[in-house]
Amino acid sequence: MIDLRAALHRVGYIADEGLATALWLAGELRRPLLIEGDAGVGKTALALALARAQDRDVVRLQCHEGIDLAQAAYEWNYGRQLLAIRLHENTAQTLAEADLFARPYLLERPLLKAISSPQPCVLLIDEIDRADEGFEAFLLEILADYQITIPELGTVRALHVPQVLLTSNGTRELSDALRRRCLYHWLDYPSLAREIDIVRATLPEAESALVDQAVGFVQRLRHEDLGKTPGVAETLDWVRALHRLAFKALPDDPEGLMATLGCLLKTREDRFQMVPARITQLLEGRRKGVAADTV
Amino acid sequence: MADPLGAIAGFAGLLRADGLRVGVAEQRAMVQAALAVPLNRVRLISPAWRAIACHSARDWNRWPELFDRYWYPHRVRGTVRSHGVTRPTKDLRKVVSALQEQLSEASNRGRERTGDTAVNDVQAALESFSEEGLKRAQGGASLTDPLHDRSASQWLPQDLERLQHLAEHIARRLRRRLTRRWRNDARGHRLDLRRTLRASLATGGLPLRPAWREIRRERPKLFVLVDVSRSMETHAQLFLRIARALVLAMNARVFVFHTRLAEVTPLLQRDSAHVQEKINAVTAGFGGGTRIATSVADFHRVHARAQLARSARVWILSDGFDADEPQQLALQLGAIRQRAARILWLHPGESVPASQAMQAAYDQIESFHPLNSLRDLAEIARHID
Repeated sequence: MIDLRAALHRVGYIADEGLATALWLAGELRRPLLIEGDAGVGKTALALALARAQDRDVVRLQCHEGIDLAQAAYEWNYGRQLLAIRLHENTAQTLAEADLFARPYLLERPLLKAISSPQPCVLLIDEIDRADEGFEAFLLEILADYQITIPELGTVRALHVPQVLLTSNGTRELSDALRRRCLYHWLDYPSLAREIDIVRATLPEAESALVDQAVGFVQRLRHEDLGKTPGVAETLDWVRALHRLAFKALPDDPEGLMATLGCLLKTREDRFQMVPARITQLLEGRRKGVAADTV
Repeated sequence: MADPLGAIAGFAGLLRADGLRVGVAEQRAMVQAALAVPLNRVRLISPAWRAIACHSARDWNRWPELFDRYWYPHRVRGTVRSHGVTRPTKDLRKVVSALQEQLSEASNRGRERTGDTAVNDVQAALESFSEEGLKRAQGGASLTDPLHDRSASQWLPQDLERLQHLAEHIARRLRRRLTRRWRNDARGHRLDLRRTLRASLATGGLPLRPAWREIRRERPKLFVLVDVSRSMETHAQLFLRIARALVLAMNARVFVFHTRLAEVTPLLQRDSAHVQEKINAVTAGFGGGTRIATSVADFHRVHARAQLARSARVWILSDGFDADEPQQLALQLGAIRQRAARILWLHPGESVPASQAMQAAYDQIESFHPLNSLRDLAEIARHID
């Protein structure tokens, strides 16, 4: 698990010990890992980083309301089947039904693609809470046995068990059956030190003082009563914006920051709430924080 | 360490007793994890078991306390000994070490004793542990949680969790009603000709993939009106908690009233420690007394005018003391009834409100229910449809 943590670090994902342990355990026990957390804390990025760290392909299934088997697992290529029928109409060869329902006429969608991948891969089932409850039930077979049953062909078993990561924002309560088939990890907002590491790893060109102060500001901002709390993705966007604007450190004047706060505050109410006076207070918190750190 | 599996089974029992869904499969995985973790990194057992035993954010947040309570009781403040039975040693390092020794001894004896086979013993240990737990319960304090009847001020996080479950149960109980609209549904009963023809273009005009539609059913809209006047001071907190649970479970709209009415749904949707402060701020400008009829009029004329349709439910949480003219309340509730909405009156205390205004309005109200605890709410959930 130390190797896994280091490998993730090398590809720019700073995982804490708990997360690295959960990932390692998921691999050891061959169980899917369900990751829940607020938007922007790095759930999807984790799957992508894991694939890069292990030099595997990532197969991504983006869930949405109304997603069905045809979009998630497989679909018969009706057009190609019809073409085959027409082509055989003028030939002496007979075409059996079994010939039409064969692998060449099967369109692989993400789940089947992950199961039949000749190399181990990472299967990311993103935002599973957006899918319908019926779709969850369909996933159970795949998550428990790593196989898909296609009535016309039989059961397709995984050549290599993929490392499955499911993400959820908690917009809907997932079923107990699905939860119990998965290991679980709650991905929280990172600590100050970890978030600084994340930003430095992602934006090495940004000034060190700017990164420290900006991350400290965001950490304090998260304690405000906001409708949409800024995640790591927002922090990265903001630091990137400040860097592009040639800031070497956070300015004392809140007016200079107001134009960039759109990177952090994503609703009208939140923007309305964060008046210059409040921004100044949060910036002053920065000074106190620096003083406390040096003591 | 005589019985490491027993110690793990005991821990699983504690987790179960605290509401975590830890079955034999989870225990098996916990033993496998304990066997796989190197002895010099025993601290990783906690995150590994956490990933196995927790299935939700609630479980996740409670884990550190539960883990410490069993393995490191000295870290937990206010710990008391609940019985005099001597328990097996619960030193985590020793447990892991003993487990791994058992495995290596079995290997040395040439017996194929893997993590999988070792954990088969867990079930037996678990059963004996459960029986012991039950006996203890009979001898002393009951295992049945007495919190069901607790008043709002004594609530613990697990009570809030139970409240949320009840609210979700209520949401499921409210019968979905048919609408005139249709929705796309692969298992529907009506052919969607337009989509079928459009899809047939991909297959040379042959409609191989028919598209189906099904009639849409919707949950009734629920409106909760909470009395936050001075006479309701001691109950308002409970009612607002219940209202919040209903908002989260079924998007109910919540209003607070006093001498005027204000909607607080957006405030309750957020998981914020400032909710109560904001509600206080909203209601701070209200004068003394309670004007229920005026508030109800404001509710159905202004705030819920478009949504008070057939099968809408209006729950009023109040003691019924109204400063308006006694006949006004019946008139305003009647106006809601005319729009085919159903009114439920939830009151503190056991007896039905008997103020003059309430007596005049009895006919307009479908039913009265006391609401003082979670037990009352569970009772309400049994009666609604």
